Amino acid sequence: MIDFSRIQKELQDCERNQDSSGIRVCPKSDNLTRLTGTIPGPIGTPYEGGTFQIDITMPDGYPFEPPKMQFSTKVWHPNISSQSGAICLDILKDQWSPALTLKTALVSIQALLSAPEPKDPQDAVVAEQYMKNYQVFVSTARYWTETFAKKSSLEEKVKRLVEMGFGDAQVRSAIESSGGDENLALEKLCSA
Amino acid sequence: MDDNLSGEEEDYYYSSDQESLNGIDNDESVSIPVSSRSNTVKVITKESLLAAQREDLRRVMELLSVKEHHARTLLIHYRWDVEKLFAVLVEKGKDSLFSGAGVTLLENQSCDSSVSGSSSMMSCDICVEDVPGYQLTRMDCGHSFCNNCWTGHFTVKINEGQSKRIICMAHKCNAICDEDVVRALVSKSQPDLAEKFDRFLLESYIEDNKMVKWCPSTPHCGNAIRVEDDELCEVECSCGLQFCFSCSSQAHSPCSCVMWELWRKKCFDESETVNWITVHTKPCPKCHKPVEKNGGCNLVTCLCRQSFCWLCGEATGRDHTWARISGHSCGRFQEDKEKQMERAKRDLKRYMHYHNRYKAHIDSSKLEAKLSNNISKKVSISEKRELQLKDFSWATNGLHRLFRSRRVLSYSYPFAFYMFGDELFKDEMSSEEREIKQNLFEDQQQQLEANVEKLSKFLEEPFDQFADDKVMQIRIQVINLSVAVDTLCENMYECIENDLLGSLQLGIHNITPYRSNGIERASDFYSSQNSKEAVGQSSDCGWTSRLDQALESGKSEDTSCSSGKRARIDESYRNSQTTLLDLNLPAEAIERK
Ligand SMILES: [Zn+2]
Ligand SMILES: [Zn+2]
Ligand SMILES: [Zn+2]
Ligand SMILES: [Zn+2]
Ligand SMILES: [Zn+2]
Ligand SMILES: [Zn+2]
Ligand SMILES: [Zn+2]
Repeated sequence: MIDFSRIQKELQDCERNQDSSGIRVCPKSDNLTRLTGTIPGPIGTPYEGGTFQIDITMPDGYPFEPPKMQFSTKVWHPNISSQSGAICLDILKDQWSPALTLKTALVSIQALLSAPEPKDPQDAVVAEQYMKNYQVFVSTARYWTETFAKKSSLEEKVKRLVEMGFGDAQVRSAIESSGGDENLALEKLCSA
Repeated sequence: MDDNLSGEEEDYYYSSDQESLNGIDNDESVSIPVSSRSNTVKVITKESLLAAQREDLRRVMELLSVKEHHARTLLIHYRWDVEKLFAVLVEKGKDSLFSGAGVTLLENQSCDSSVSGSSSMMSCDICVEDVPGYQLTRMDCGHSFCNNCWTGHFTVKINEGQSKRIICMAHKCNAICDEDVVRALVSKSQPDLAEKFDRFLLESYIEDNKMVKWCPSTPHCGNAIRVEDDELCEVECSCGLQFCFSCSSQAHSPCSCVMWELWRKKCFDESETVNWITVHTKPCPKCHKPVEKNGGCNLVTCLCRQSFCWLCGEATGRDHTWARISGHSCGRFQEDKEKQMERAKRDLKRYMHYHNRYKAHIDSSKLEAKLSNNISKKVSISEKRELQLKDFSWATNGLHRLFRSRRVLSYSYPFAFYMFGDELFKDEMSSEEREIKQNLFEDQQQQLEANVEKLSKFLEEPFDQFADDKVMQIRIQVINLSVAVDTLCENMYECIENDLLGSLQLGIHNITPYRSNGIERASDFYSSQNSKEAVGQSSDCGWTSRLDQALESGKSEDTSCSSGKRARIDESYRNSQTTLLDLNLPAEAIERK
């Protein structure tokens, strides 16, 4: 019942209008039920310079039901779970409208990165830090961006792990499945 | 003359016939308005649900000159409270009333909901397809999308259980979709779903309406009950079930709903048996089964042969004297444990005291049917006899009074249990205050109890076998006791209201007021329609003129009271007048009127 032709059109539209926002949507599988969204960290925030990947799963009722979105890149933000990447955003829940698109949803998530809502938190620990100790929050968020969301640092991680004697493809998939966590990736590679 | 009855004569409240009749005459003038005030409870059956709903819809449609679906949207938003809706209109104006409920009216709206220009191609923003104009539908808010997309949206929303508030597909548009459009589009592809949608809308009248409730009967009789003015009442559905309208459990006045809920849990809960076990048994330290102590010394032995100390529960050897077990010394645990046990014992005893009395009266009232049979047999035998006395309505009236007061009496025990216990009002009263109140209440309760039992005793007399003068004697006793019991019930409620709860300032304990005539039986909804018809236009006129006045003066309360409402009450009062008066009164008293 998924309206594939609409998803197809949305993807084409994204391709055609590669705007300055840098937001992209790419299919993960052929059947268009799983996609990956990419948003650049907004300038002037602790997320600046990072590139954030979002896992998108299309429900059967799309576009009448909201798409399921969750960060696959680890991120430190009051409305995003630091554990699972789950996002607390009204338009992904009861405020979804069929007139919204994947692109507009991703734009809203980008806006959420710029303007956290600590009063409606997804991650209580982060929210508390945000409200009580803003400076520490900023530096933690920046550190997470540096560690998990920077392209260059991904290449650096790959380089380091490859130097340890693992295969390039193996290293890349291990890093991806560990959400960019180098140590976790190393553990996986060692236990594999 | 009164050989059989003389012994008890001095206990009666009214010692002579004349006096009692005077008392009744006084009563009569008070009881008419009290009873007629609340005879407005209606049964709404599956068949009359539509009509009941339409009554309110029509009022709002006329009031605001809107279409039915807008009226319904407004009513659902305001939980079918026409008064409230009216108040918002007066206070905040039409625009705010509408936008608050998601009703959007475009000024220059075309009548046709299909987008005109029919076959010219237009784009739908949802599916991003070009479709001919006649396949697009525009809602009242002005947003138009293709019919396929609307149908997809409606399907998801109905399945999510949101039939009552399907909002427009446009982002941030809060307009509620026109139910006719929803119905028309959905029924094309999914007639079942359209039916579901209609049922949801229809039942909203019951589920979202604080003045209407489903009858809680199981299996469900299919009826709902509507009350007019006060939700704090007890009603009887046409299926025969009597229930408390506020909490939908069995009628329980003079218990408050909170007390009743606690009591019910307490009675059905295992907690009391658990309590009993903690008082009377101890777990074996080896196999952990509860062991009962059967007197004697503090050394107990479990079936598994393990011996242990009853005071502290610790395993011991078997060697002991009456006072001590060798090689074992109980720590200072002993005292705490003992105290704890004493408290549990006392709580249990207190509960048993109230529960036993509660249960005794409930059990007696379970025999109602039998007693009722018995009385009607005696009455029909007596009527065939050659007696001076021909009218035996006093016997059936006395019987109803007995039933009614027994109910009050039985529920007065759980009331007292909580009123004077630690659970609810511990911090609200000093213990002296509590003792005074408890004495006051229990005096009344005991008087009532004594008179109820006497009434019961006289009704059980085989008066169908007695001679004229003896029957007359019984008749007077039954009449006197009926009046006395009624008065005592009323006094008890007054005491609860004024002396017990009145001083506590705890709003949650509302007691359904005493009704001398018993629980109100809901009348069929259609009959109210009929009596309203008799009143005719005046009801609607009353309503609209009231609106006009309110709009002018800016005040909603108590301008010209809705004449329709008042007329309807009078009507139903007339219908049930006979049943309202006969409970206390001897036949002559009614005839003399
Ligand atoms: Zn469409
Ligand atoms: Zn709209
Ligand atoms: Zn019923
Ligand atoms: Zn109740
Ligand atoms: Zn044992
Ligand atoms: Zn012994
Ligand atoms: Zn001991």
